[in-house]
Amino acid sequence: MPNRGKIYSWLLKLYPAGFREEYQAPMERHFQDEYRDASSRGARLLLWLTAIADVALSAPAEMVRELRQDLAHAFRVYRRRAVSSVMAVVALAFAIGAGTGVFSVLSALLLRSLPFSNPEQLVELRNSPFGPMKGRAAFTEWRHQSLYLQDAAAFSLDDANLMYGRDALRIKVAETSANFFRLLGVAPVIGRTFSPDEDATGHSGVAVISHALWQQSYGGSRGAVGAVLHIDGIPLTVIGVAPARFDYPGKVNVWTPTVFDFETIPKRGAFLFQTVGRLKDALSVGKASQMFDAEIQHVTPALLTGEQQNRASLISLQDQLSGQVRRAGWVMFGMIFLILLTACANVAQLLLSRTTDRRRELAVRAALGAGRARLIQQLIVEASALTVTAAALGLLVAYWIGNLASSVAPPALATQTYTVLDWRVLGFAATLAVLMGVVFGVVPALLVGRLQPSGEILRAQSVAGTRRARAVLVTLQAGLTLILVVSSITMGRTFLERLRSDLGFQTAHVVTLNLSLEGTRYHGGPAEWRYYSAALDRLRAVPGVEAAGAVSYLPLANNFYAASSFQLDSGQTVKPVVMNATMPGYFQAIGTGFLAGHDFGHDGIIVNAAFAESAGLGNAILGRKVKAPWTKTPYLIVGVVNTARDPGFAEIYWPVEEEPPAALTLVARVQGQAEAYLARCRDAVRAADPEVPVYDVLTLDQRLSSQLARPRFFTTATLFLAALALLLAAVGIYGMAANSVAQRTQEMGIRMALGASYRRIRIMLLRETALPIAWGLAFGIAGAIASGRFLEHLLENAQPAQPEIFLAAAGLLLFIGLSACWAASARVLAIEPALAVRNE
Amino acid sequence: MPNSKQDTIEHFQPLSLPIFHMLLALSEGERHGYALKREILKRTQGQINLASGALYGSINKMLKDEFIAESEERPDPHLDDERRRYYRITPLGRRALQAEAVRLRHLVRLAEARIELPELA
Repeated sequence: MPNRGKIYSWLLKLYPAGFREEYQAPMERHFQDEYRDASSRGARLLLWLTAIADVALSAPAEMVRELRQDLAHAFRVYRRRAVSSVMAVVALAFAIGAGTGVFSVLSALLLRSLPFSNPEQLVELRNSPFGPMKGRAAFTEWRHQSLYLQDAAAFSLDDANLMYGRDALRIKVAETSANFFRLLGVAPVIGRTFSPDEDATGHSGVAVISHALWQQSYGGSRGAVGAVLHIDGIPLTVIGVAPARFDYPGKVNVWTPTVFDFETIPKRGAFLFQTVGRLKDALSVGKASQMFDAEIQHVTPALLTGEQQNRASLISLQDQLSGQVRRAGWVMFGMIFLILLTACANVAQLLLSRTTDRRRELAVRAALGAGRARLIQQLIVEASALTVTAAALGLLVAYWIGNLASSVAPPALATQTYTVLDWRVLGFAATLAVLMGVVFGVVPALLVGRLQPSGEILRAQSVAGTRRARAVLVTLQAGLTLILVVSSITMGRTFLERLRSDLGFQTAHVVTLNLSLEGTRYHGGPAEWRYYSAALDRLRAVPGVEAAGAVSYLPLANNFYAASSFQLDSGQTVKPVVMNATMPGYFQAIGTGFLAGHDFGHDGIIVNAAFAESAGLGNAILGRKVKAPWTKTPYLIVGVVNTARDPGFAEIYWPVEEEPPAALTLVARVQGQAEAYLARCRDAVRAADPEVPVYDVLTLDQRLSSQLARPRFFTTATLFLAALALLLAAVGIYGMAANSVAQRTQEMGIRMALGASYRRIRIMLLRETALPIAWGLAFGIAGAIASGRFLEHLLENAQPAQPEIFLAAAGLLLFIGLSACWAASARVLAIEPALAVRNE
Repeated sequence: MPNSKQDTIEHFQPLSLPIFHMLLALSEGERHGYALKREILKRTQGQINLASGALYGSINKMLKDEFIAESEERPDPHLDDERRRYYRITPLGRRALQAEAVRLRHLVRLAEARIELPELA
């Protein structure tokens, strides 16, 4: 049991170092006197309580007082070297800001809680055979008998037309089972959610609307409950409003309990549903996944084999919602961590040089009574002032990165907004700042050595220590920078090759508009074709439109189906095939060239080059006949066009007139800037019938940009980070080389005085500068090869780095280091040897 | 600069109660920290009981303001503990004490002219 004196001494450690050095001894004596004078056990207990309260109150005040002193001193020190201080702050601000920005994205996707009750219990069942296709009764029986789920809900997400006054909007609608909101633990802000029977056929004429739609369409009025809205022409009564920022499964405006009801809202095309479940209490996702796999093995074992995206699996909902952004986010985080280390190395060099230069000042202060703890405290405060300032500025960088990420890769749910105003993100930035402040303050202090006034011991120890530290920092910088530069060039090349590849169509001067006839008076009737014709005629009549057509799926679309199989009259079968309804003029509008044949006449179909190659006929496929699986009528192939979809699916273009689809995209090639035609084209098409929504009115360049936005962002970001790392490394290596040479001025003076030639001294300096850089490059090459393999595994189309990239980057860094050394040595060697010997 | 010390003293007014009492105690002679605390405790009949953190915090402040200084004179070694630190009041500290006493006297007279004050016990 430690004695009371020791306990009181521990308590005094809460005071700052300076105060402790001055008053610890008298305060211990003071306490001893008070303890002696306390006459009873009660008085001694009161003394202890008073002492604890006294420390709690007075220690923070003393801490603040010393902090103010140290900060004022730090400001004076940094002002003397303003340029290098500002560079260090800016470098750190970028590094901390970039790291914090990416962390804000990862925090939103992975760490922040979802807007559901007990979200850690929620799972998604991918490619599950237990869904609404077998009917409501079968789904209900399955979910009640489940060994691993308390409950499960099914839903399907689709686009639909919402009539809004005389205008039509295109919105996202989620068809769900009745227990959807109850399962997620979400309560409405007004009204109610679905009752258990409302997902039965004939009972499902109700809807819950989103908070945003409630504000926009009903002004936030309670009168919205009971109002009737029309989705694809189907009347639904609003029964409730979802909470603000709730839009699961993603940007949903309306939820209806119609996932089992194939009559109220007919399911068109391939009906894709998803199943979400809540695990039984105390059951882990891993265990539930095993039980799910066992159940699938019993029912449909084939679903456990095959490619990952087609396999049945049970995953946490959080993992599902974080999606692809998470993977790319971690890659970015890794790169930024390397940048952070490089920036730290730079700042460490700055502080190391500064501390070494101030060793005389520190020695004198030690001689005047300042203890080691006090001096280390001051160095930590000086370093922390730098890092905290950088972190504060870095929050601006983080905010900008969050905004950029939102535009490039928006999160699935509205609640997953990327923001720096989150305690986790702010805590991350603050932790980085404090940690770096401590490390940068303590390490140089330790390297300076024992702070004795006697210069020789001090100088020898500190110079040797700092030289080793500098060499390590330079090795680190060179290696990390090489990894970053090679990785980013690899990613950049992959992206540039994608840009350079022939798309099979031309994006310039093209306007596109989407139409949907779902729920309109045209849908399913003979008037569909008449409407499309009229709309296209109006588009062609717009002055400046050179050619116009229409198609079901643009080459950039990713919502196409490629499942059909076609048989040629010569016996070959081609599958899978994308079936694309097309109106004449489309290929001319989009700039897809014909390899053989011509555009639609009054009969015939057109195929793409991938279809022709898949059939093994090439252009000789022209004139052949092909039969669809659902009809006995063969179609004559009248044209072969370039393949214009990535990846190159076999594609058949058949006339819209044969079987008009519910939705089409109109395409118009215009003279001049396509952006200038957007409003005119939209108004012209809407004039055909204002009740038909015309949406996603964009140029083809805008659509391509949007698709390439994410890879462009990541490529640009990595190139920027690599450039930043290169700059930091260049500054750091230059600084190291210059400081190293300057510190050895006296030594070189002695060597010159003893007869060493300039050439010999220079070679010695160059060799000593090149060695840590070479070590760094060796470690960097190994690291770059490893990171290249990792990137190939992680990212699509990433290509392995070429040796010339390694050599170029390594050569550049070596050149910078040797140039710095050469320049610095030139300055020193220009000094008279006698002066150099006297120099300190 | 003429009157710079006076100007400086006005800058430090009003003095906090513990500092006033500590200067008052030191005006009678040098003392160490614990003795200061006991003197103030006795003088104020137990109303001001300075804990050591507050006491040495105030001493620290007064040293920086040059109201007090550490005394080089110490008792005989067999009566002394080297951990104790002895303090004496400086001329500046004495003037600051006087200025504060004058300020308080002025306040008391102002109050006496307007309200009836009970007699001191």
